[in-house]
Amino acid sequence: MTPVQGAGGGAHKASLTLALGFVAVLFGLHVLQGPRNVPLETFPALLFDRSPASFDQFVILHLRLPRILAVVMAGACLGAAGFLLQTAMRNRLGEPHILGLNAGASLAVVVLTAFPLIPLPVAAKPFAASLGAFLLFGAVLALSAGGRDRFSPVRVIFFGIALSAMANALVSAILILDEDTLEQLRFWLLGDSAGVQMSAIAAAAPTVVIGLVGAALVMPRLAALSLGDNLARGLGASVKRTRLIALLMAALLSGSAVSLIGPIGFVGLVAPALWPRLHNKPSVAALLLVTLSGAGLLLAADSLAAGILAPRELPTGALTGLVGAPVFIWLVLRTLR
Amino acid sequence: MSAGMLVFRLGDLSVRMRWKALLANTGLAALLLVLAGWALTVGSRAIDVQSVVRWMVFHDLGATDALILGDFRAPRICLAMLAGAMLALAGAVTQYQTRNGLADPSLLGVREGASLFIVALLLVSPAMPLALRPVVGLAGGLAAGLAVALVSRGASPLKFVMTGFGISWCLSSMLVILLASADLTSLQSALLWLAGSLQAADWQSVRIAAVILVFAGSVIFWLARHTELDDMGEAVATVLGTARSGPRRSTLMCAVLLVAGSVSVVGGLGFVGLIAPHIARFLPRQSLRGQLVASMMIGALLVLAADTLGRTIFAPVTLPAGISLAAIGAPLLVLLLWLRRDRTEDLR
Repeated sequence: MTPVQGAGGGAHKASLTLALGFVAVLFGLHVLQGPRNVPLETFPALLFDRSPASFDQFVILHLRLPRILAVVMAGACLGAAGFLLQTAMRNRLGEPHILGLNAGASLAVVVLTAFPLIPLPVAAKPFAASLGAFLLFGAVLALSAGGRDRFSPVRVIFFGIALSAMANALVSAILILDEDTLEQLRFWLLGDSAGVQMSAIAAAAPTVVIGLVGAALVMPRLAALSLGDNLARGLGASVKRTRLIALLMAALLSGSAVSLIGPIGFVGLVAPALWPRLHNKPSVAALLLVTLSGAGLLLAADSLAAGILAPRELPTGALTGLVGAPVFIWLVLRTLR
Repeated sequence: MSAGMLVFRLGDLSVRMRWKALLANTGLAALLLVLAGWALTVGSRAIDVQSVVRWMVFHDLGATDALILGDFRAPRICLAMLAGAMLALAGAVTQYQTRNGLADPSLLGVREGASLFIVALLLVSPAMPLALRPVVGLAGGLAAGLAVALVSRGASPLKFVMTGFGISWCLSSMLVILLASADLTSLQSALLWLAGSLQAADWQSVRIAAVILVFAGSVIFWLARHTELDDMGEAVATVLGTARSGPRRSTLMCAVLLVAGSVSVVGGLGFVGLIAPHIARFLPRQSLRGQLVASMMIGALLVLAADTLGRTIFAPVTLPAGISLAAIGAPLLVLLLWLRRDRTEDLR
């Protein structure tokens, strides 16, 4: 076993470098992309010669950077959340969109926007979204826990889809009854990154950090879990508590992603699937790799969504769905009986 | 053998029915009639029962009320019931034929495929005649259904359903992209229709829906004998002399046609095809044809109830039937899955 794992560590290093390189390249391309041609000299000037009068600098700092930062953060969150769900539930089809976390988070955000019972600070939005994600996913888990075949992948997915549909119906109903909310959230609901503001990014930063650090901390225990529940118990890991922490972190991460750029599907499915060797081998390096891949994937999707039909923008969520759904089918055909 | 059975004879023909099942179906029909009558009376202008009866029987009623009843409420109610019956019949026969409690063409991409084709056509030529929509929708629905069947060929029922989910996600992403890349002016009608709204119901769409339901329904009922034999297993079916794939293919084609037809007149209505047959299974045991009839009536009940609630609860704002139906249907589905959680044929 040891030499294989040693080789795996080396491969991890190479893969990590590769993923990091991809993210950097995509980041650079995305910064340069847009209706206005920003000359390359602007970038050194941004560092050494900041001037509020320069329109080029304004475009980069206030329009492009927030968007790209939000996309990177959301992609990282979704990738990590997908990996957490998949390893904690031993289900390669686990993903925040499919299992209902995204729908729960959107419902929470829409409800809070439409019925502001207490004036909620912007900073609370990611927490509220995470709470919604956790509640809906909790309901999915509670329903799929009964009877024989508890938590079988199909059952969890089916309840996830049914409860997502219910949450989405509530969202549509609220939006039809309340036009102000519709105006505010219309594009966000399709998964749209244009127009993200720095304040939203700052608000989401704490939950993102908590979620990612928590995910990294729970990885060793998840690794024990991947050996099977009984063996994990023998090794002294608390199976229930580990799962609960992992799922909490997944809810935090998908809630932050949803609060940033709306419900976006399939990034959490595709990012871990890119590295088939990581399957059921949780480690901090693996988490890092999947997080980077998620960021890279969403950057690529966002860049395409902004670029394909420029000047018209497509919703980023539609592009991830278009690519992610076939990956889902492929995984279904490969992994299910 | 004939205990608990009723036998009707007409010359050489005879029909056997279980009287319990007959009673249940009659009850359903009565419930449907009552609900339809109630739906006629409620709305932004309340019209009492006596006036409705007068309008139906003697055709003498004030011009305004007659207009409201005849041109708005009656076609809307008819369309709701027809759409519900179509979706439920499609779901019931597909579930039976594929022996898979989760198979429902409107869940497995057929609805999205039909929507995609119709929206594309709406955006290209907004003035397209209404009667053309089912044809285009059928093409899209068949394409999606074929894609699901081809991709999951020879796979387990479970993979089949999951592949259907995948294909429908893929198609709905395409739909969003199509809508996002369209001009705002042509978008309006497409969006209204997509939400599964019965607001635009008129007698023409009722006629289209009725023709499709009668055609596809008669084929399905005519082939019901083959479908029932099929259920006994391939060997038995072959020995008893039913053709192998012909009737099966026609039945499934008709199910797709039903879904495409309902999509083309009322847009996306979810859940009916999945839950109506399951509710029908709570009724006394009956033959396949009886089950199909019961499912149709339950589907009609569901859509009519959802639409009537949707237009009255938050009046003057009207919720599209697709939304109120999801709000009713999703909890029902969850409840059903919970109640039947140990019946392995549903979830495996």
